[in-house]
Amino acid sequence: MNRAAEFKKIVAQYCSVAAKEMKDEMRFREDLGFSSLDFMSFLGELEDTFDVELEQESAVQVRTIGDALQMLEELAA
Amino acid sequence: MRKEYPLTAAQNMHYQWIREYKTQQVSGVSIVASLKAPLDFGLLKKCIQLEIQRYGCMRLRFTKPDEKGEIRQYLIKHDARDIPLKDMSGMSLAEADDVMQNWAYQTLDGDNRPMCEVVMVKLPEGFNGFFVHMDHRLIDSCGLVVMVNDLMSLYTHYRFGAEYPADLADFESVLTNDLQKANNEKRFAKDKKFWDDQLDALGEPLYSDIQGPSVLEEARKKHKNPKLRAADIERKQLFVAVKDYILEPEPTKGLIDFCMNHQLSMTNLLLLGIRTYLSKVNNGQEDITIENFISRRSTHDEWTSGGSRTIMFPCRTVITPDTEFLAAAYEIQNVQNRIYMHSNYDPALIREEMKKRYGTPEDTTYESCYLTYQPMPVHVDNPFLQNIEMHSKWFANGAATKKMYLTVSHTPEGGMNFSYHYQTACLTEKDMELLYYYMMRILFTGISRPDIKIGELMEIV
Repeated sequence: MNRAAEFKKIVAQYCSVAAKEMKDEMRFREDLGFSSLDFMSFLGELEDTFDVELEQESAVQVRTIGDALQMLEELAA
Repeated sequence: MRKEYPLTAAQNMHYQWIREYKTQQVSGVSIVASLKAPLDFGLLKKCIQLEIQRYGCMRLRFTKPDEKGEIRQYLIKHDARDIPLKDMSGMSLAEADDVMQNWAYQTLDGDNRPMCEVVMVKLPEGFNGFFVHMDHRLIDSCGLVVMVNDLMSLYTHYRFGAEYPADLADFESVLTNDLQKANNEKRFAKDKKFWDDQLDALGEPLYSDIQGPSVLEEARKKHKNPKLRAADIERKQLFVAVKDYILEPEPTKGLIDFCMNHQLSMTNLLLLGIRTYLSKVNNGQEDITIENFISRRSTHDEWTSGGSRTIMFPCRTVITPDTEFLAAAYEIQNVQNRIYMHSNYDPALIREEMKKRYGTPEDTTYESCYLTYQPMPVHVDNPFLQNIEMHSKWFANGAATKKMYLTVSHTPEGGMNFSYHYQTACLTEKDMELLYYYMMRILFTGISRPDIKIGELMEIV
């Protein structure tokens, strides 16, 4: 499974949108219904799954699926 | 051979309280859910038995403590127990509540035994339903609400032909996953670093009491240490009283709108209300710590697996009097967000670290207030039962491990319920009245003037 697919599979565990229906412009809070706790737990899970170290200050600024995927790609590069 | 598992950090928190306070009563959680409608009790019994099968946590048991006092948990495959029916229809609702309150005080003692009791109840005024009494190591309040809804969905399926409820997540799989996460060394190191860094930056916390600085002064005298920063915990007289205050829908909307307009969570606004009160009654103390409970339910599986996932972490902030109200709220939110990311950590390790660093005396604490915010309403969310009046109630277990424990929840009418559980050995209803009064004054002054300085706010309320 590629990184984007695995990423969306994780997001899908936190919301009611299926991975295949996710679009880059979808916002975590407004469109996917993430609470602060959900979002921060999700960031922790990204770190553990992809073995990356998120810069918390910038990670909390992430708004959309596209932003998060881009952040992940940059960290994994 | 049965599979046994160690306790998770959340379960261990309750187990340690049972050991420290020497009674299982501190770990009891009870609820009654009833509808103003005739129920088919034969069918309800079948649904409860089915629920015990579906919701694995209800079949959880604990082993006898080993030589170190540690216990393990395991699931039994089937629990085909009978479900008794208690007819209290001849009483008043208040009398029936008293009977159930006494059930909630009962302890589930011993090992290798069911830690969950269910009784079907015929209540006065035409209400019928069931009472559940469980050990908190099996379930938390969110888990209980999920269970009540699932049970009612089973009932409406068999009674009215509603759709069969979706499967609940497997308790054992989620437990295994949690234990694996707890054993992830990299994650553990990151979490430990976060909590250690906080102590490195801020030093030893400082106790703040609802009743003002005299409590810490007393502890300083007792321990013959004028620099002591922690105060004593009441270990013997654990009786807890409950005082509820309802905030009406209109002002509640004001708080909700403020949170929405400023992208704040209600928990953080409430934390600001409590910490400002504590600061006010403790001569403007800037360094305040409040224990905040976190539900740790985010994924679908975490929501529907049952289990005890709620865990408390210290929310410590140092807020100066020249900080504006809104800025202070964001400061708390920032701290809380970081805590959420590290909420897989075992909070017992934070206390252990503090004890190691500062030599905190046994049976003392840095916190007097505990907060739980429950955004999840306690009502049966079932279209087949929508127009039926409901009587549901949480029952206090009667033994507090905490001096003051505030649970804030939403009422069906759109208001908020502030439920103060307080140890009667130390606090009175008057203390709770003052706390609620000032919390409201602080919150409503703050949301109407978000740029007001905290120092000025403390003076004018």
